[in-house]
Amino acid sequence: MTFLAQVELIKPPEIEYSAIAPVLIVLGAACVSVLFEAFLPKHQRWAAQVVLTMLTFIGAGTALGLYAGAETTTAQGITTLSGAVAVDRPVIFLWVTLLLLGFGSILLIADRSVEPGGAFVADAAVRPGTVQDRAQATRTGMQTEVFPLTLFALAGMMVFVAANDLLTMFIALEVLSLPLYLMCGLARRRRLLSQEAAVKYFLLGAFASAFFLYGLALLYGYAGSVKLADIATATAGSDKSDTLLFAGFGLLVVGLLFKASVGPFHAWTPDVYQGAPTPITAFMAACTKVAAFGGILRVLTVAFERTNWEWRGVLWGVAVASMVIGAVLGLTQTDVKRMVAYSSVAHAGFLLIGSISLTEQGLSGTLFYLLAYGFTTIAVFGVISLVRNADGEATHLSQWAGLAKRSPVLAGVFTFLLLALAGIPLTSGFVGKFVVFAAAIQDGLAPLVVVALVASAVAAFFYLRVIVLMYFSEPAPDGPTVTVPGAFTTIAITVGAAVTLVLGVWPSFALDWAGAGGFIF
Amino acid sequence: MTPTYYLLLSALLFSLGAVGVLVRRNAIVVFMCVELMLNAVNLTLVTFSRMHGELDGQVMGFFVMVVAAAEVVVGLTIIMSIFRTRRSASVDDSNLLKY
Amino acid sequence: MLAPASGATDAVAASGLASLAWLLLALPAFGAAVLLLAGKRADKWGHLLGCATIIAAFAYGLALFFTTLGQGAEERTSELHLFDWIPVGALDVEFGLRLDPLSLTFVLLITGVGSLIHIYSIGYMAHEEGRRKFFAYLNLFVSAMLLLVLGNGFVTLYFGWEGVGLASYLLIGWYQYKPEAASAAKKAFLMNRVGDLGLAIAIFIMFKELGTTTYTDVFARVDELSSGSILAITLLLLLGACGKSGQFPLQAWLPDAMAGPTPVSALIHAATMVTAGVYLIARSNPIYNLSADGRLVVMIIGGVTLLIGCIIGCAYDDFKKVLAYSTVSQIGYMILAVGLGPVGYALGIMHLLTHGFFKAGLFLGAGSVMHGMNDEGNIRRMGGLAKYMPVTFATWALGYLALIGIPPFSGFFSKDAIIAAAFGEPGWRGYVFGGVALLGAALTAFYMTRLLILVFLGKPRWKELKTSEDGREYHPHESPWSMKIPMIVLAVGSVGAGFFLENGERLAGWLEPTLGPLQETHGALDHTMVAILSVALSLVGVALAFLLFGRKPQPTTRPLRVSFPVRAARADLYGNALNEALFARPGTWLSRALVFVDNKGVDGLVNGTAALLGGSSGRLRRLQTGFVRSYALSMLLGAICVLGALLMVRFS
Repeated sequence: MTFLAQVELIKPPEIEYSAIAPVLIVLGAACVSVLFEAFLPKHQRWAAQVVLTMLTFIGAGTALGLYAGAETTTAQGITTLSGAVAVDRPVIFLWVTLLLLGFGSILLIADRSVEPGGAFVADAAVRPGTVQDRAQATRTGMQTEVFPLTLFALAGMMVFVAANDLLTMFIALEVLSLPLYLMCGLARRRRLLSQEAAVKYFLLGAFASAFFLYGLALLYGYAGSVKLADIATATAGSDKSDTLLFAGFGLLVVGLLFKASVGPFHAWTPDVYQGAPTPITAFMAACTKVAAFGGILRVLTVAFERTNWEWRGVLWGVAVASMVIGAVLGLTQTDVKRMVAYSSVAHAGFLLIGSISLTEQGLSGTLFYLLAYGFTTIAVFGVISLVRNADGEATHLSQWAGLAKRSPVLAGVFTFLLLALAGIPLTSGFVGKFVVFAAAIQDGLAPLVVVALVASAVAAFFYLRVIVLMYFSEPAPDGPTVTVPGAFTTIAITVGAAVTLVLGVWPSFALDWAGAGGFIF
Repeated sequence: MTPTYYLLLSALLFSLGAVGVLVRRNAIVVFMCVELMLNAVNLTLVTFSRMHGELDGQVMGFFVMVVAAAEVVVGLTIIMSIFRTRRSASVDDSNLLKY
Repeated sequence: MLAPASGATDAVAASGLASLAWLLLALPAFGAAVLLLAGKRADKWGHLLGCATIIAAFAYGLALFFTTLGQGAEERTSELHLFDWIPVGALDVEFGLRLDPLSLTFVLLITGVGSLIHIYSIGYMAHEEGRRKFFAYLNLFVSAMLLLVLGNGFVTLYFGWEGVGLASYLLIGWYQYKPEAASAAKKAFLMNRVGDLGLAIAIFIMFKELGTTTYTDVFARVDELSSGSILAITLLLLLGACGKSGQFPLQAWLPDAMAGPTPVSALIHAATMVTAGVYLIARSNPIYNLSADGRLVVMIIGGVTLLIGCIIGCAYDDFKKVLAYSTVSQIGYMILAVGLGPVGYALGIMHLLTHGFFKAGLFLGAGSVMHGMNDEGNIRRMGGLAKYMPVTFATWALGYLALIGIPPFSGFFSKDAIIAAAFGEPGWRGYVFGGVALLGAALTAFYMTRLLILVFLGKPRWKELKTSEDGREYHPHESPWSMKIPMIVLAVGSVGAGFFLENGERLAGWLEPTLGPLQETHGALDHTMVAILSVALSLVGVALAFLLFGRKPQPTTRPLRVSFPVRAARADLYGNALNEALFARPGTWLSRALVFVDNKGVDGLVNGTAALLGGSSGRLRRLQTGFVRSYALSMLLGAICVLGALLMVRFS
């Protein structure tokens, strides 16, 4: 032991366990969930996984509630793990949002009533199109690996929005992306499309990660550190090479914009949204968007606020491109999932407007928008999963003709959700757009807001087209049927639509909450 | 020796990887090109680490390798499964989702 | 010669009985609301409720009047603040009432004549299906008209102004199944819009220049305005008055408005609403006092209108339309009077009151005749009706004598005073306006006598025709008591009101706190001379009419081969043609051009944009080739663009 005595005592970094408990709970549950997959017999897995996942959300939510509620001395937030992770007001808002939306997605994922056995393949190893594949399509089992994958992805998202240095952010990015690549390929039906979506998402995602990483490396070269705070300090009047700074910033932002599916880095979005199993699409569309914009907000605000004069114009152009691409290309889509994908590209443009108006209003507006958009999106995909024919989901728009006559309730809910996406008053979409645009105008982005309003008007057309199609067309004789959903999907759709309404009528509490404080670094 | 050469080399490798992603058809090769890009980044990190006279960049290089390894696992799984389905690893064959 | 702006005397807060003045508005409004909301359940008693609310308002108005009469002149103006109406930034419009001699005079006129006409309507509308709704509209009208005269600012006045416009529109179009009633209602509404626009712009100017729209503040500070602004305001207010009061060039809607039921014509289009323009100018006297040019324009409009009305009145064969043009012409007198300024405001109001009595009486008489003659309006199909309708004839004849200005009937006092005051104007103006007014008096006597002869005297031409045009046989009969009593009351007014108001300058003294003291003028002709001249000219007119129409039997259809003046008069002196050429046709052309631009340009633009978006969308979506490598290319290109742009911004 003399050997040990000679060693200088080291001081481990302080860890604020109560603050990061929600992430730890989700990650730990993900590991337990993997063990379930390894050791439980197949027929018990679904029930066990569902129970575990529910408990995880309850536990993480409780931990988060306790921390946020008990917070007194650290009211505006802390950094922990040697400053690698920050837990401040926006992060708590984003964590709550992610947990709520993740819970909604899990409900859709776990549902086995809409599609007998669930939306996921029973045995992913079986080749599509073979006899075994047709047999497994009718089996009631599913690859319950989707649960641990979801939990890992969710944990990655939670770390991503809290990451206070670029390396942590990169790791979190991979932790959230890798499970999603796999989940995209797990659809029970149309497996060719599903696998194709997985390949495309994976290759493009890896490509984008490389950009992010190269940006990280250049910024490391510029600032000598990858901590956001250090980069911010370095940008304050140093004699270092601005080429490194802006090349690094550009590459980093490209990686982030890819995840947020902002045009022109959106190319994967329609294909993957269409090919992936609908519950996974809901998860991606809601949670990934939240995580990506959470990261963008933090990076832009914390690290690059001082240089905003140089980059703001560029992101201005990106936002315009995204809104125009989303709105114009959405016009001629014939598949409802692809249409929602283009709508999400347009929404990404709107969100980017809020993100580049670097004010408190911009921050709180964007956070509110994310919450509102996430709930609406989950409900939208929940509804889409209900319209089915013998081949599975009937996503072609022509099959939606006259749906209001078959199922007035479903058509009514979907109409309401589409109006929310279009930003009609009394829906959360209107309030979200309003606060974001108001913040942008205050910060001198009025021309951008004009473009955004025009894009909203164009985009409203394709939402209304679906409404017209549902209400004013004759239903086709061999059209799809509307499945009566089980409890899980019903809850997800109901809650999504209800939140859309509540945030549209009484948004003040959520707005206050979103505006409770800024980033800590 | 000026570190600029190392940085230029890594930039060249990164560009080669990017071009490779664009021009190669085989999914495995495309994926290897992505790995090439990641390793180009590693070279950059190590160079800057030396320039700054600290080890942070080199440690980050290890992180990147770990992530790359994980990515290989996931990537090869996906490519394997689609290869079994289509009997082809060409990324141009996966062309059902479009417009 | 300008009097101090005595209309701006400080108002005291209303107290005592006056603090209940909101009842004046609330009672008729309550009646209207009940009648409209209760639906068919109110059919049995609705008309009684309608009458009761107006009579109650009249009783309250009388009480208020006598209370005020007991106060000193400086205490007679009071304001009653009700609530803040439009508190928006710098614009703070309060909803308040102004009780002063002028508004009280109007309250008595409106509720008094209104009560009589409500009672008359019980009988007149007895056979109509929607009588309840009719009374609701009448109540609505009375409420709005009271708001118009009681409001303490121009915005409140404007509110009432639009309210009476609405009620008038609803009532003109009462017989909505008749195309001419519908188009008359539309015409009235549209032509009133032109005038309302002027009033609105005048209010905007006041607010812009003075930041306030209440009478007290505007009149107190009106001398801060530049003379240009004052002239603009006076002319724009005049435009408003022209629209509402049927003055040249906006007179054409008033005769058409006779398509409504006769009580409506009597109340709205003779006694009250159409005099709102006179009220407006008299109320704004502190503004008009400051602009001699503005008043000259007012006088010109008044003079032109009174002649136009007389001339056209000579040629018409429709009972009510003749009376309508007579109204146009008499309001021309009033406008002329208020245009004279401090020498004329009180005279205009006095003529307005006497006219309210005798014209309402004449209209009710006309209604009574038509009621007894199968709703026949063509005077050529009448004749000799005096025998069959003695009460109607007697009351009508008294109104007739009042109108043509035979002493001692009321019209003589009020009209002669105006003519004399017009002669009092200096220089050429005295001769021109005095002469016009005298000529008008002669023409009035002529066309009214023609009316009298064709309707009540001469051969009963209807006997030859036997049936009216709709096939029913003529059985002329006297009207029920509910119609006769109002006619009798109004006839009493026609006889005595003029002398009563004129005697000892009773009215002028009463109105002094609002309009300033009535000034005397001595012009080219003295008063006695004017009186003699006007009576003489009227008698000439009467004689001429007897010579032309009384001696030989008249044809039952109007002669077509007539001289140019008659043709011109029958064509409304080409007023409609003028309006058509000046406003309607360019309007039509403009709207056609706009339709063309809309079809080809705007729609083209919209459709073109849609097609462009759809087309580009259809092409652009082909870029989504489905090949992952092309997606990677698009990302790389995007990244290069972002990088290039960033570096360019930094290093350029």
